[in-house]
Amino acid sequence: MNDFEIPATESTPLIRTDRTAGRLEMSGDSYPENSFELFQPVIDWLAGFLDQVLQPLTLELKLMYLNTSSVRAMMDIFDALQDAHERGQAVTVNWRYDRDNERVADLAAEFKEDYTFPFEIIPGS
Amino acid sequence: MNSGFPLPPGERPLTERIDALLSDAEHRDNPLRAPLAELYDAFSDHLCQLERITRISDHYQAAERDRGAGHAVNYRRQLRRLEKIVRISDQYQGMLRELNQRLEWLSHRDALTGLPNRRHALKRLREEHLRAQRGGRSFVIMIIDIDHFKDINDTWGHEFGDHALTAVAARLAASVREYDVCARWGGEEFLVMLSDTEPCTAGDNAERLRACVGSDPFIIGERQLRITVSLGVGSCRPGEELAELMKRVDDALYLAKHEGRDRIAFAR
Repeated sequence: MNDFEIPATESTPLIRTDRTAGRLEMSGDSYPENSFELFQPVIDWLAGFLDQVLQPLTLELKLMYLNTSSVRAMMDIFDALQDAHERGQAVTVNWRYDRDNERVADLAAEFKEDYTFPFEIIPGS
Repeated sequence: MNSGFPLPPGERPLTERIDALLSDAEHRDNPLRAPLAELYDAFSDHLCQLERITRISDHYQAAERDRGAGHAVNYRRQLRRLEKIVRISDQYQGMLRELNQRLEWLSHRDALTGLPNRRHALKRLREEHLRAQRGGRSFVIMIIDIDHFKDINDTWGHEFGDHALTAVAARLAASVREYDVCARWGGEEFLVMLSDTEPCTAGDNAERLRACVGSDPFIIGERQLRITVSLGVGSCRPGEELAELMKRVDDALYLAKHEGRDRIAFAR
């Protein structure tokens, strides 16, 4: 479960993990050609963290556009957080969005539905 | 143990009666006693077996039913998840579509004046030209150029020049009908296309546009400034290519400039 950082590209978001701080960060657009390739390391890291580390985890998101397979991958990630939450682990999602794109907030709210862990949708600049 | 066989009314269960007969000392020497005892034991064993088999079978059935229910629950959860993915994905697509429309709109706008740009004007010109060629009604085009715009820029600066351009654009746009085109054609040039318009009315229309700019001074910032325009005006001849028409109107504009500006010249 080593930390890693994947720089943003035209079609993929920046992804950065920080085990010490208990932070997983994703920001940008997500249109990967191969979503498995992109998200599997994230899901593996997350599983490792939730399995081995007892400190709280914060998922920091600033995602704009997601294609369908990315939507699915995000739900896998949120499902893993929900399981951890139900086991008593502290997990939080902070989803930040630009004020001039309120639709992103609607979409984040759509994701949030069904989950009971803290899931904040935060307007920014 | 209960054999479960139905009892005639007022009778004790068969098993009880057999138990009683076998334990009764009076029948100890009956030759039927030993075979009955043997038969009764065999019967009891069989009954025992039967109950065991029934119990095991019931367990299997219950397990099978639970497994089926588990599948159903799992299926419903997967379906719900899939529906959520589809719903969210549709919203993302909607968002992209809106963005696309916005970009499409922007690609037809001039950022400074807010008027349609040259690309949009050309598209409308081609459509209108085709319509006229197919026997539709004729249209009138004008190329309108601000007089001495270079002097305005040089004297008051480019920012002031931009304000002047925007102010002229607003007056022109307000003076045409909704289905006409008033576009920024280039630097300080505008193109007006009056659709469904007879060439004989071109002069009045052009004069109206000239006057809407030139008759009242503009107030830009703290300055009051009179701005005039020159216009080249023309309409399509039967069978004439759009490029030829544009060339004639351009030449007319040049003529209007040459003849002293703040005036209209008709394409020849």
